[in-house]
Amino acid sequence: MIDQLGKLADVWKLPEPPAAQEEMGFFTDTTVCIGCKACEVACKQWNQLPSDGFKWTGHSYDNTSALSGTTWRHVAFVEQMDRDAGAPPRWLMMSDVCKHCVEAPCQEACPTGSLIYNEFGNVYVQEEVCNGCGYCVAACPFGVIGRDKEDGRAHKCTLCYDRQKDGMTPACAKACPTESIQFGPISQLRETARARVEQLHGRGETDAYLYGAEPTTEYSALNAFFLLKDAPGVYNLPEAPQRPGAHLRTNYLLSFGASIALTVASALIFRKGR
Amino acid sequence: MPSSPPAGGPGYYGLPLLKEPVWGWEIAWYFLLEGISAGAFILGAMARLTGDERDAETIAAADYIALAALIPCPPLLVADLGRPERFHHMLRVFKPSSPMNTGAWALSAYSVPVGLLALKQWAAPTAESSSMARATRLLPVTPLALVGLPAALTMLSYPGVLLSTTSTPVWSRTRMLGALLACSSMSAAAAVVSFVLAAGGRRGGRGLRRMHRIEQLAAGAETAALAAYLVSAGDAAEPVTTGKYARVFWGGAVAIGLAGGTIARALASRRHGPRRAATMAGAVCTVAGGLALKWALVHAGPISARNPVAGHDAARATEPGAGWAPSA
Repeated sequence: MIDQLGKLADVWKLPEPPAAQEEMGFFTDTTVCIGCKACEVACKQWNQLPSDGFKWTGHSYDNTSALSGTTWRHVAFVEQMDRDAGAPPRWLMMSDVCKHCVEAPCQEACPTGSLIYNEFGNVYVQEEVCNGCGYCVAACPFGVIGRDKEDGRAHKCTLCYDRQKDGMTPACAKACPTESIQFGPISQLRETARARVEQLHGRGETDAYLYGAEPTTEYSALNAFFLLKDAPGVYNLPEAPQRPGAHLRTNYLLSFGASIALTVASALIFRKGR
Repeated sequence: MPSSPPAGGPGYYGLPLLKEPVWGWEIAWYFLLEGISAGAFILGAMARLTGDERDAETIAAADYIALAALIPCPPLLVADLGRPERFHHMLRVFKPSSPMNTGAWALSAYSVPVGLLALKQWAAPTAESSSMARATRLLPVTPLALVGLPAALTMLSYPGVLLSTTSTPVWSRTRMLGALLACSSMSAAAAVVSFVLAAGGRRGGRGLRRMHRIEQLAAGAETAALAAYLVSAGDAAEPVTTGKYARVFWGGAVAIGLAGGTIARALASRRHGPRRAATMAGAVCTVAGGLALKWALVHAGPISARNPVAGHDAARATEPGAGWAPSA
């Protein structure tokens, strides 16, 4: 009897969160991406994501266009056929993904606590909690997270949380045939990435640089960062993303200031009329 | 050396950088109604605090308006969700970093004093001996109004802050949106209270005269805040000032709301108390303008996010070390 009552009380107890693990992430080296889209396919298959329809964009081999609630890896094809004099035409390919920001605007915005950092330091949507308010969609400075019309909830890359819990590599990194997508502990990935940039610079590829490996003065580091060969905008990445919450206090101060000023002024008007 | 973006549009084939916000007409109406409700509550509280017996009509009107405008708010918010049956998940955490969460808590806390004050107001004229009158007589009016005040101020102040705490350029490239929506809400609330007083009250009542002054003040503040918004947002405000919502904004919010409302109130002004018809016309203009402003601002969000130039411009490195662009 006592035992049964104890079980009833269990419902009200919050379970212990899983113990923190080493922070894991992605390093996507775009210089070795061959645009095969195996990552896109592996991601769709493993995560059982619905098809986006059979449509040609007409502008390149990129028929996916962007990340969305149902596309969590997207390979961008940048065709540069008329570059500056002396530079040969080139293709830049880049497998884009949720950046898993260390200070994630979507996580800050989420009013239900559905968006959390999991034990691997990844930004994760708890689908059983999400009520589809759409705040994360507007908050993300990279245009990553989307609300699915079919089920009304927000979805994005989970960094294969389910696979990580079983000690497996995320599906996209596992499928990548050129190791353009590398998965591992963040500290280790940063070293690998820096060494790779130095190697490329040594070979005369001086335009190679890292996007998101370190924090900027305006934004946190990204736990899914990239090695790029051209300006971020060329890959449809923001050059200097802003954290929406950075101005929260100023916004509230000005807003409450206006409200309180009008409140006090109306109190004075009621008083004056006595 | 970074080369120029590929042909076919700015950035990446002219595709948007950002995702379009999913909020629609429900939110425009919600911002109008919750603003009218919170503003009316605040006016009622101030009239109780510093006014006298001649403000009794104002207080009664404010109590009823606060409740009437509040009633449609929860259904509008629930309808806007992707999963409406999970609306209560908003209250499973307390999270000040999310203005939407703050707003959900403020709305919940605020609804209690609003409901009780309206109930007391409703029971007041009934016979002294009625059980309702006896029950509500125990409700402490001024403490209730004061307890609800912080929540009402939050309701007035948070909508613009919520929109600004996004990456959508038209909302986030300014610090003035919160103040603008707060002033607009206060202005609309004062207009509705004046309308009710003018429609039902005695001619030239003292209450209406005071409300007339508050209306003028709030409309002035709204005009100043709107100017500050347009200046501070700069190019990012284009989805409001040009294109599809330009008519709603310039015609509705500016011409009808601010100019029309001001002219009507000027015509209503008289030494012995405002003219009733002109007061009512001015109030209708102000409320229509408030809806137009919130309508244009909410609907400008998707247009702003869809524009790749606006999206990338909002994320330019303004100083060294602000971004990840290679140093050329």
